[in-house]
Amino acid sequence: MLTLTKDRALALALLLIVAVMWVESGSIRPPTSWQPYGSALFPRILLVTIALLSVVILVRSLFTKVAPPASGRGVLTEWFERRKTVVALFVMFGLYAALLPVLGYIVATMVFLIASLALLLGVDTKRKWAINLGISCTLVPLVFVIFRYGLNVWLP
Amino acid sequence: MTNFFLQALAEVGNPSVLGLIIIGVLFGIVGGSIPGFTVTMAILVVFPFTFAMDPVSGVSLMVGVFVGGYSGGIVSGVMLGIPGTPSSITTVYDGYPMAQRGEPGRALGIGVMASFLGTLISVAVLVFFGPLIASFSMNFRPWEITALIVFALTLVAGLSNGALLKGLLAAAIGLLITTVGYDRNSNLRFDFDLPALGSGFEMLPVMIGVFAFSQLLGNIEKLNDEKSSAQKIDTNVTIPYGLIMKDIASQKLNTLRSSLIGSLIGALPGTGGTVANFVSYDQAKKFSRHPEEFGKGTPSGIVASEASNSAVAGGAFVPTLALGIPGDLPMAIMMGVLILHGITPGPMMFEQNPVLVGAIYASLLIGAIAMVLCNLLLVRWFAKISLIPQQILVPAVLMLCAIGAYALNNNVFDIWVLFIFGVIGYLLWKAGVPLTPLILGVVLGNNLERQLFRALELDPNWLTFLTRPLSALFLALAVASVVFSLYQDRKVKRLQQTTRSP
Repeated sequence: MLTLTKDRALALALLLIVAVMWVESGSIRPPTSWQPYGSALFPRILLVTIALLSVVILVRSLFTKVAPPASGRGVLTEWFERRKTVVALFVMFGLYAALLPVLGYIVATMVFLIASLALLLGVDTKRKWAINLGISCTLVPLVFVIFRYGLNVWLP
Repeated sequence: MTNFFLQALAEVGNPSVLGLIIIGVLFGIVGGSIPGFTVTMAILVVFPFTFAMDPVSGVSLMVGVFVGGYSGGIVSGVMLGIPGTPSSITTVYDGYPMAQRGEPGRALGIGVMASFLGTLISVAVLVFFGPLIASFSMNFRPWEITALIVFALTLVAGLSNGALLKGLLAAAIGLLITTVGYDRNSNLRFDFDLPALGSGFEMLPVMIGVFAFSQLLGNIEKLNDEKSSAQKIDTNVTIPYGLIMKDIASQKLNTLRSSLIGSLIGALPGTGGTVANFVSYDQAKKFSRHPEEFGKGTPSGIVASEASNSAVAGGAFVPTLALGIPGDLPMAIMMGVLILHGITPGPMMFEQNPVLVGAIYASLLIGAIAMVLCNLLLVRWFAKISLIPQQILVPAVLMLCAIGAYALNNNVFDIWVLFIFGVIGYLLWKAGVPLTPLILGVVLGNNLERQLFRALELDPNWLTFLTRPLSALFLALAVASVVFSLYQDRKVKRLQQTTRSP
């Protein structure tokens, strides 16, 4: 069985996206009588280009020998295991985006900053907690004041 | 020319604009001096603060960040031995050994002065060549502009560290992103029945997501023990002014040569500070009477490195302002700032917005002066700031990115765009796809499509692109740049195989 390498994963993911977008491009309005080419032409040129380049990357990757993962676990499992912190940070940011309109800027940002600093700095000493809370309680109101009163930009 | 420059100088000389330039320079130096933060990140973080400003103020602030950012790499390069930005890698070669032998103030002072002179020379290049190129390109019709954009994209993709295929792929993905939403004929494309996609993706959240997320989270992945060794550094620096002046006076030719190399390389799409840095360092070594001193803490090495990377700033403005083709990533973002303020860079900018062009020149000059003063007066503080650990920096910058994206239209959807493109950018980066061509594609996509269709409406025959001399030349150059990159890739691979085999 073929091992999933980054080139293969990239090429397959892009080919899938190209297929979906090609189907979707069928619903773009066709050209009128005064237009030599329609609105679908440019994206379709790009989709074909992406598909061709992806196929070349895929074919090239098939000629490259790849050792199976040493741990015996799946490639994806190993990938996620090694990037637990990064994945957690992404999840936190997604939650922040979801909570921002609900909780408002001050509360949502404070929660996001405290949680992400705790994740990256650790929570094992009082000093780390002091740094965490010090940064969060200074930065969040400061940014609010600059945007709201300095730049007249409303934050949620 | 003199008239509009004086008018621009009067606008930039306004205390509030001067204050913005100084703030920009300070922030740029801080950004440049923190390893892993980079000039581009500093520009992206400050960008949202310009939304509520008039064009001159916004652009002046950004120019300040730009000038400060390119010089900021000196601090961490000299103090920590870690280049603050990729464009100050060779500064470390001589700056760090000089600091280690007890002369950090001298190394920093030489770097700052060389940076200042490099910026001044590059401004002269910009003032002289910008209008010349712009007036020449006034004759460009849609065929020539289309071919020029294609050439710029292939050039940037080809210079993506031996990943030509992925570079081209990234450029195409960037262009594809711009096709979402209503097109110029008011036809809806790729909305997937989601009303929010009708207006397409804003350039800023896409750029921040693709670049900042991948960079910040990449830094988290790479966290190592640099921090613990860095904290042992003595940040109590004093600058020996007399000695620095002597050093700089003995480096006149080196400064001029390195600044011209930086300006020239900055003006070429896709190259930027890193390439300029290496080329000028190499040239300085070749021309030196004591090449054996390079890498051991010679002032010549620091001058070559810093004069060239700062000269990139002025040089990179030449194609951006004159042709509307950004030379590198920070310039692509600068172009985004101009577009956001309703100004389209290109040949017409010199006719339609001469005061703004003059304001850019003036901001570069004032920014260079502010950069020297800030660096020399506050170097101890910058040295301390460069020790901020990534664990603190990353959440704070992510928060600023989110607020910046929101503030663009007061719309939470833009934060989601930032998030989604952050995930996409991170995954593409992990797959070895260079992100600069993607961002350039996002910046140039709408213009490319507009020019292509204008050309086809004037003449539906595609062969016209090949029968018009200039557009044919640009297309030939595009093909040549791809072929040359392929040749280079093969050569590098062959060399690697030869060195591996016994």
